[in-house]
Amino acid sequence: MTDTSPPTVLSIFENFRDELDEHHDRRERIIKKSRDITALSKKIIFALQRVRATNQPLPPKIAQENQVRFDQINALFEAVVPEQLGINSWRYQRQLSPGIQEFIEAVSFDHYLRTQTLISHAEVAARVPAQILVTEEDYLLGLFDLTGEMMRFAVLSLSSGNAAATKTDEAAVESESKAPTLAPSQGDIVVDLRAMRARFEGLSVPRRHNMLRDLAKKLEVMQASVEKVERAAYGILVRGSERPSGWTPDLSAAAEVESH
Amino acid sequence: MIDQRIFEDLQNKIDEESTVRDELHEIVQTLARRGRSTQAILSRAHSTPADQLKPVLDDVTTEILAQKQEVARLKAVADKHPFYKYNGLWTRELQNLVASIELCAWLGGLQEHKGPSSASFMTIEDVGKFLEIPVNLKEQDAFHLTIEEYLLALIAMVEELSRLAVNSVTLGDYTRPMQIGNFIKELFAGFQLLNLKNDILRKRSDGIKYSVKKVEDVVYDLSLRNLIPKGAPSA
Repeated sequence: MTDTSPPTVLSIFENFRDELDEHHDRRERIIKKSRDITALSKKIIFALQRVRATNQPLPPKIAQENQVRFDQINALFEAVVPEQLGINSWRYQRQLSPGIQEFIEAVSFDHYLRTQTLISHAEVAARVPAQILVTEEDYLLGLFDLTGEMMRFAVLSLSSGNAAATKTDEAAVESESKAPTLAPSQGDIVVDLRAMRARFEGLSVPRRHNMLRDLAKKLEVMQASVEKVERAAYGILVRGSERPSGWTPDLSAAAEVESH
Repeated sequence: MIDQRIFEDLQNKIDEESTVRDELHEIVQTLARRGRSTQAILSRAHSTPADQLKPVLDDVTTEILAQKQEVARLKAVADKHPFYKYNGLWTRELQNLVASIELCAWLGGLQEHKGPSSASFMTIEDVGKFLEIPVNLKEQDAFHLTIEEYLLALIAMVEELSRLAVNSVTLGDYTRPMQIGNFIKELFAGFQLLNLKNDILRKRSDGIKYSVKKVEDVVYDLSLRNLIPKGAPSA
């Protein structure tokens, strides 16, 4: 307040009103952007679920489609930057967080399909404008959601008919016997999911501070996903040769992949 | 291949953050304990006639000054971290403290800290100056008192005053309910200027009208029975 006359109650509250309006407007603009980012990220994930192989470049059509979406997301992030400068990055973190988590899910899934490795926090942060805050919490929760996508991907690809069909040399060497095995990339997903599960469970988060909201629920969903893949892999191995063509493993039970 | 370093890094971050939270939590606990003792003393105002309030206010001031020390400690630690990341840890206690300060000032304490405003309460700037903390920072990322915290504290004071209006009558003081009524109606008018969204501020400020009504009922009862002294401020 720069005016020299002493403020009155009304002038004091008018000032508060302007400040609060500014805050609410900014908050809503960020929420909108966050929702748009979420929607685009979901589309990217859907497209990626149509991919059938890991550890190699994505099919050009899907890669192209998704690049357009990633560019759109980037533009949205750029538009959020001026709203989130300095002190405001944490102030509106909660509003942007759902979008960021979904984006991390998309980016990490994309990364996993192409390289079969987990994207690191630094790599995720490098995918958004530098001023956008990517918290470790969002990163971790995004990875939890990634396990759900990996589960869907694994189950769908196990059922797509190439299980035990193509074998690379290394797999062929050790499986002299005629026992059916999983194709390496499929076996790898099972191994990776199991490793992620073990790592997630190994994290110790102190209860007393209420950090990482709904961590318990995320853990549960993740565990269910891993088990589903394990069972699907088992099913393919044991009954693989008997299944009719066109058969898909049952995905209907507790398909609790998305949490929001 | 899952790189286990990713999870080691996450664990380190989690550990770092809980250390910060522990440190802040300990200070906030102390602030809360002192805050309860401030409020306990302040509540003696409900059973003390206005002309004997001085010693109560002196005691309250001592407690408030002790809390101010804790705020300084809190500020020193909190300033090392992003403000809004941890703000939730202390916001409640800071609100309680500001409410106590406002109430104490309204009752006649802390007068030297009231600014030149025509308002009969301490402005957010007055409170910031008294506590030696910045207020309403919009760019600089540092510890401060937010507008929301200040407004929530005012609401808490209004609730306390509406209780005081009733208890004043019990003490035989028929003037104070009028003063309280005028004051909280002034604040109520101020709050009505705000465009509130569906948040905590909205929920809490919805309660002001009940406080206003409570005090108006008291004033009505008094005036109906011609108990309001002549020369008292009219309601």
